[in-house]
Amino acid sequence: MKRPVRLEPGQKLVLTANRLLDGRTVWWCADGAWDLHIGRAALLDADEAEAVLARVAGEAQRDGVVGVYDTAVQAAVPPEPVTVREKIRAHGPTVHPEFAVETEQ
Amino acid sequence: MSIPVGHYQYDRIDRDFLQARIAEFEGQVQRRLDGTLSEDEFKPLRLMNGLYLQLHAYMLRVAIPYGILDSRQLRKLGEIARRYDRDYGHFTTRQNIQFNWIRLEDTPAILRELAEVDMHAIQTSGNCIRNVTADEYAGAAADELVDPRVHAEILRQWSTLHPEFTFLPRKFKIAISGSPNDRVAARFHDIGILARPGEDGAPVFRIFVGGGLGRTPVIGEELFDSVREEHLLATLEAILRVYNAHGRRDNIYKARIKILVQAIGVEAYREAVEAELAQMDLERYRLTPEAVAAIRSRFAVPLLEAPADADAVLAQQRREDPLFDRWVRSNTHVHRDPGHIIATISLKPAGGIPGDATSAQIARLADLADAYSFGEIRITHLQNVVLGHVRKDRLRDLWLGLSEVGLAEANIGLIGDIVACPGLDYCALANARSIPIAQKLGARFADTALQAEIGALRINISGCINACGHHHAGHIGLLGVDKRGEEFFQLTVGGRAENGAAIGTILGAALPEDETVDAIARLVDCYLGRRESGETFLDTLTRLGHEPFREAAYETV
Repeated sequence: MKRPVRLEPGQKLVLTANRLLDGRTVWWCADGAWDLHIGRAALLDADEAEAVLARVAGEAQRDGVVGVYDTAVQAAVPPEPVTVREKIRAHGPTVHPEFAVETEQ
Repeated sequence: MSIPVGHYQYDRIDRDFLQARIAEFEGQVQRRLDGTLSEDEFKPLRLMNGLYLQLHAYMLRVAIPYGILDSRQLRKLGEIARRYDRDYGHFTTRQNIQFNWIRLEDTPAILRELAEVDMHAIQTSGNCIRNVTADEYAGAAADELVDPRVHAEILRQWSTLHPEFTFLPRKFKIAISGSPNDRVAARFHDIGILARPGEDGAPVFRIFVGGGLGRTPVIGEELFDSVREEHLLATLEAILRVYNAHGRRDNIYKARIKILVQAIGVEAYREAVEAELAQMDLERYRLTPEAVAAIRSRFAVPLLEAPADADAVLAQQRREDPLFDRWVRSNTHVHRDPGHIIATISLKPAGGIPGDATSAQIARLADLADAYSFGEIRITHLQNVVLGHVRKDRLRDLWLGLSEVGLAEANIGLIGDIVACPGLDYCALANARSIPIAQKLGARFADTALQAEIGALRINISGCINACGHHHAGHIGLLGVDKRGEEFFQLTVGGRAENGAAIGTILGAALPEDETVDAIARLVDCYLGRRESGETFLDTLTRLGHEPFREAAYETV
């Protein structure tokens, strides 16, 4: 059974995965699409995330994504991941600013 | 097509095998894309073909057997970087190259392009025998006793798709050298092999087992002192069989051969190997002189001709050009032929990313290899490039050519020659970023005159305990750790992978990332202030002990 997520005040959960075709990091949006930009990710409360995660993970093959999981973010605009790892996934490698996800359409 | 200098020439059987393997993988990719294969089912298949899924994209690790390739192969790697990746590649501590931005659907096409130049990505991942590494100066160095490349090729052929060893408890790494000066970290490999001539002139092999880094660093122990050439494969087969039968499979962290050797002791391991050998059909595994000669015949030998005054020309050029002289001091090694010299090309520009090269640099390296070193290139386990056979009177022209593409850094073996894993900027396993701290250190010690003054000092950086940056073996080692979401670095000192292999000692509590570079600078200052004439960092550390360095590193903490 999945461990209950403990969020700090001001934090929400987002769902993330990698795209099957090219491995790119993507974020789950409220309309069911997956997007490169975390700014478009749906923000979920802890009590709803588990059910949404189970449903979305079950549709991963249809949606062309791999390894769906949830991660905590500061619920700002745009949301900012809490951990260094997820920040790097969201924005791109810190050593190549020219590869910043923000520069991609 | 002429036979390449430095590595084995494929034949039709090798090429047919690669095509069959690509067709097989292409079918697997197609079944993954259409959903016939789940990710859990596909993952071990893609890993067997060198394809990882990292933080931002797929990563393809391409094998460079014993670290040697020819200019057309290197050119192809540059083309792949440009066409399928983001215009660069990353050379690894296993003498391979990684591409960090690969699309799954492109992978069969990339593998086809690699096969055009007799390359592949097989066994660069997974619980199998990985790319066999060898001395980067093989067949060239004056201090070499036996050229290890022919036996490295024999090991490659023996280990490729070996039916018994495709599903080992864990990955398995072998290194081989034929020099009394260990340049392959033999004591930090699952099996380390040091070749030397036997009494009859045929090579004999000293074999170490159970070395490794990772979360349990262990220095390998000698299993046999003098294995004869004819019994090399049988002996390795027996070592692997004992590991395959008795290595732990219940715990991924306890599954390497080092854990088994530590658990039962090297004497018991030796007895088990000897018992296995006693019941093997040794004739089947016998490595005959004819078989060795057949492999050797597939390697071209460079025609080493140089003008009588080549050495004098180089000496004159060094006197006239101090910058060139500094590069020659740090970046060359004595060749077995007096008219030639070995040049090591640093992939560690000050403030740059260790081991990275752009497609333009890769293409230029291929051109320079053609012009100056028989079209042969070696990749080192320290993430640099070697041209093994450069005529002394042409070395300066090579250096000028390297300068044009930013590859003339004079820092081999010095503090700027930093080894670093990809770290958390790319790697799904990492806890901290390795590259930014390497860049900061490289920038801090950018002055090559200062680097020369500091002398031999290796820094190795790993972004997690898996130790791909070999931090345990660094004279100064950095291990990235995550403390409540923040990056910290644990410092070790006194590690070494060369002769007298040692595991670095932890200096103290991990430091915040933004304090780490200053701490290392203080540590280096401590050495410079207290060293005696002629001492290296390791000499001073050995004489004084760790305490002065610990005090220096933690001075303001």
